[in-house]
Amino acid sequence: MITKTKKTIMQAALDQGVSRRDFLKMCTALAATMGLDFTQSNQVAEAMETKERVPVVWLQLQDCTGCSESFIRTTHPKAESVLLDMISLEYTEVLSAAAGHQAEEAMKNVLKNYKGEYILAVEGSLPEDAGYLTVGGVDAKETFKEMAEGAKAILAYGSCAAWGGIPAAGPNPTGAKPITSFVKDTPVILVPGCPPIAEVMTGVIGHIITFGQLPELDHLGRPKAFYRHRIHDKCNRRAYFDAGLFVESFDDEGSKQGYCLYKVGCKGPTTYNSCAEMRWNGGISYPIQSGNPCIGCSEAGFWDNGPFYTRRAKIPGTQTTINPDNVGLAATALTAAGVAIHATGTVIKKKLDDKRGEHE
Amino acid sequence: MSDLNINPGQNPIIPDIGKESDTGTKPGKNSETSFLQHRAAKYETVTKTHVKIYVWELPVRIWHWVNFVAIFTLMITGIYIGKPFASASIPEDAYYSYFMGWARYIHFFCAFIFTANMIYRQYWVFKGNRYAMSNPLRVIFWKETWETIKFYLFFKHKKPHYIGHNPLAQLSYIFFMGLGSVVIIFTGFFLYFEPQPESIYGKMFFSWVPFLFGGDSYTVRSWHHLVAWAFMVFTVIHVYLAFREDYLQRNGTMSSIVTGYKMEPKKHVGEDDEQ
Repeated sequence: MITKTKKTIMQAALDQGVSRRDFLKMCTALAATMGLDFTQSNQVAEAMETKERVPVVWLQLQDCTGCSESFIRTTHPKAESVLLDMISLEYTEVLSAAAGHQAEEAMKNVLKNYKGEYILAVEGSLPEDAGYLTVGGVDAKETFKEMAEGAKAILAYGSCAAWGGIPAAGPNPTGAKPITSFVKDTPVILVPGCPPIAEVMTGVIGHIITFGQLPELDHLGRPKAFYRHRIHDKCNRRAYFDAGLFVESFDDEGSKQGYCLYKVGCKGPTTYNSCAEMRWNGGISYPIQSGNPCIGCSEAGFWDNGPFYTRRAKIPGTQTTINPDNVGLAATALTAAGVAIHATGTVIKKKLDDKRGEHE
Repeated sequence: MSDLNINPGQNPIIPDIGKESDTGTKPGKNSETSFLQHRAAKYETVTKTHVKIYVWELPVRIWHWVNFVAIFTLMITGIYIGKPFASASIPEDAYYSYFMGWARYIHFFCAFIFTANMIYRQYWVFKGNRYAMSNPLRVIFWKETWETIKFYLFFKHKKPHYIGHNPLAQLSYIFFMGLGSVVIIFTGFFLYFEPQPESIYGKMFFSWVPFLFGGDSYTVRSWHHLVAWAFMVFTVIHVYLAFREDYLQRNGTMSSIVTGYKMEPKKHVGEDDEQ
């Protein structure tokens, strides 16, 4: 893995024993994953024929390896074609055969040989204090900063890397922050999700290889191709929402009929992701289709956005969530009670004043 | 009444502005009488002691009632959208009804009415009489706000009399109707264009609303809910204090929002009672 490869992606694939026909299939699948037009699959094939495999360094910070687990379950393109053909995964704690000093050596070589060319994939958040995360005897933050500086682009895989995620959830004991807080000039692509959809993870890499540039990003830094739509707007249960047919509890008739999960806390209306279009596990299903409300895992601070199975509103600037209608109604009722007391006082005072014959 | 002393668009002459009246019958200078004297309301004398003054002009009254209907409808549909309280009682296909769809449609329709109404009201701030606007950037305004608070807390026997709104009321309008409307309109349009962030209108709101209101869709939505309920709290207080004013002053405050006229003692427009 350490040697500097000069093979193009197609050459690498053919050397693996992939037929040309299968190679073109892979390119077409990749084009579809990236949301490209069918006619653009030529462009993908051309890029794969002419471009070299992209070196990738995959750092794991404060994470759970869930993003890695998701990544290796990509189906179009298949995980093996991504790992063996498209990219050259130079450093990863999960998949690497090398260990210890050998592995650390591989990372150093990437920095030396591929400066400005490699992609840095990051999983997990970074703590403010070095004591909380040390890998190979080195403060992970220093490793990250060093690798980030020489990278062509950084992929913030998962909600932890993108937003801080679960490590940053209140009370945030380690002072965890998203990796963007520690990056200076290198462009970062946020690929949030807990974990992100496998095909989204590979699709972003595919885009960089095909077009040699970063995908178009939205106002928060996420690739538009995968995060431009709300789950709610693409939901397979949307018709039930518009009809006003809701699941009230998980054992009622509506639940069996496949009604909308809005009232059992679905976060689809506030979540931007492509679950409803790409779906999971090779397009088989996704949580809402399977009867569970969306938990909004790709949104910033999702862990602090209240219970998963209740609709709430957040008091801005806090981690406190409330039922806005109950609290609002209580506040209105309290005001009305205050008004009643004040009105009584007003009337009593007026009667007393009139008795005293005070006018003007 | 022979002397229908109509002064269209003219200042009621208050000759002793700035000094305490020696007879004690005319008002001294307060935040209202000293404000925008060239935009004073017209009035006519109806009795020996009272005048009928045209406080709320037609555009203000139209604005008020359109606003009332819009907010009422927005609140009902809004609560339903936030937490659908009614649902089909028998299992059925989505094909047969469009209940949430209609609730949302009505909510959006009223939202546009509400917004247009607010813009139109801003025009009237500059065009209408002195009671159609306020200027809190004056020391006297805040002094009298404090006097009004004391009055409402029963610390004071009489508050300075105002033909329009007292300074505390004006502040509540600036805070709830002004600032509150701005927040609820902008968060609302952000939510409205969420399905089309790429469109021209979507870009108008996606470029800055989420950053001002906490970054994510959920927080923007929370602001929208909370401000909506602040409107309800405001409504309760507003209606109560209007009734209270009517009860204490007996000057037609409640009917004035329909007719536009209040009955005021002559001294408040700077005239002496007829003997």
